[in-house]
Amino acid sequence: MATISFDLVSPENLIFNDEVGMIIVPGKDGDFGVLPGHSKVMSSLRPGRVMVYGEGKNLLKSFFVSGGFAEVNPEKCIVLAESVDEVNALDKSSIEKEIQELSGQENDMAKEQLGIAKAKIDAIDSNFYEKV
Amino acid sequence: MPSLKDIKTQINSVGSTRKITSAMKMVAASKLRRSQEKAEAARPYSSRLEEMLASLASSAASGEGIIKLLTGTGNDQNYVVVPVSADRGLCGGFNSSINKETFRLVKSLEDDGKNVQLMPVGKKSRDFFNRVMKDKILDSLADLNVSVNGYDAALQVSNKLQELYFDGKFDKCIIVFNKFKSAISQEVTKQQLIPLDVSDSSKEENVDDSAAKAIYDYEPDEETILKDLLPKNVSIQIFKVLLESDAGEHGARMAAMDNATRNAGEMIDSLTLKYNRTRQAFITKELIEIISGAESI
Repeated sequence: MATISFDLVSPENLIFNDEVGMIIVPGKDGDFGVLPGHSKVMSSLRPGRVMVYGEGKNLLKSFFVSGGFAEVNPEKCIVLAESVDEVNALDKSSIEKEIQELSGQENDMAKEQLGIAKAKIDAIDSNFYEKV
Repeated sequence: MPSLKDIKTQINSVGSTRKITSAMKMVAASKLRRSQEKAEAARPYSSRLEEMLASLASSAASGEGIIKLLTGTGNDQNYVVVPVSADRGLCGGFNSSINKETFRLVKSLEDDGKNVQLMPVGKKSRDFFNRVMKDKILDSLADLNVSVNGYDAALQVSNKLQELYFDGKFDKCIIVFNKFKSAISQEVTKQQLIPLDVSDSSKEENVDDSAAKAIYDYEPDEETILKDLLPKNVSIQIFKVLLESDAGEHGARMAAMDNATRNAGEMIDSLTLKYNRTRQAFITKELIEIISGAESI
């Protein structure tokens, strides 16, 4: 079966770089799946999960990204994300604490952070796309 | 003529200085390796971002809001210059060359009738410009510690700059930093940060890219992506600059400390020679006294 090369890059390092079967990316207008041979797309991302599948559509990894960009062409998918965490490594209680601290604040930065923190909780709780 | 004891003390003190400088050299060498790795790790992100930007930049017409980061304000009267220095000294000409170059740049811009303000990053340039042109300082940042804080350090600088930019405080931003060339040499480099200078990096790529770029689908659309991309690009450029400057600092310190260690070694050699000569002179003098004493009897 065909594979597509997938790069997940953060400013500090290259996090994931391998041939995979499929990727699901949280595009700004909605999640989209990328299979080998996907048409050329450039998209900005919202905070959410980037899911990586092997050739047999088994879930390999699931990352949380706080936003960024994806560039897709038939052979390659590149996700540029500003901060990346593995969903399994996220700690729900500390994020909930962060939400409580942020929810009182009014400035734009705090609101943005709050949105990201809430999306993190969603990412931990949701089990969408875990089997495809 | 100094006594033997004086020379001995001097030798000892130079010896301990040498120990310190050679230890600092080792520390700088290991830090240099680490910050080089960091700079290496940051490269994929920034190069991809630049590629994306290059293929999008041509589609941007002049506009309001964030697009201004690309198109500029339409003015070039108000400049802000950002010198990036280290927080610590003892690294040879690293900091002073930044300060000197910035000083020269400010003067030459002023000769052209522009308004120039400064936003020094790093303790050494902040302190310097606080002394020489305090009235021009718009803001300053120090203790960013990019090797520990990583990307967040760059975000601090970038957020502050963008805030000032969108408040209309300046039209153009030039960053002055030490570009890391090799472990022993740095090059003072000036780079225009805002508005983005796409002309040099994207021109040659655009030629063969133009066919490929035409068939990209954009989600949601080109303008929205560009609006997300531009602020991030400023941050990543600053991040790159901070990393280069950090690596350069350690390189410069390593070279400076290597020199200092060598100098201390030479000094110890010449002091030891002097010590031995003085000792021999004493012995000879005593011998002469004894012999001439014996002869006179």
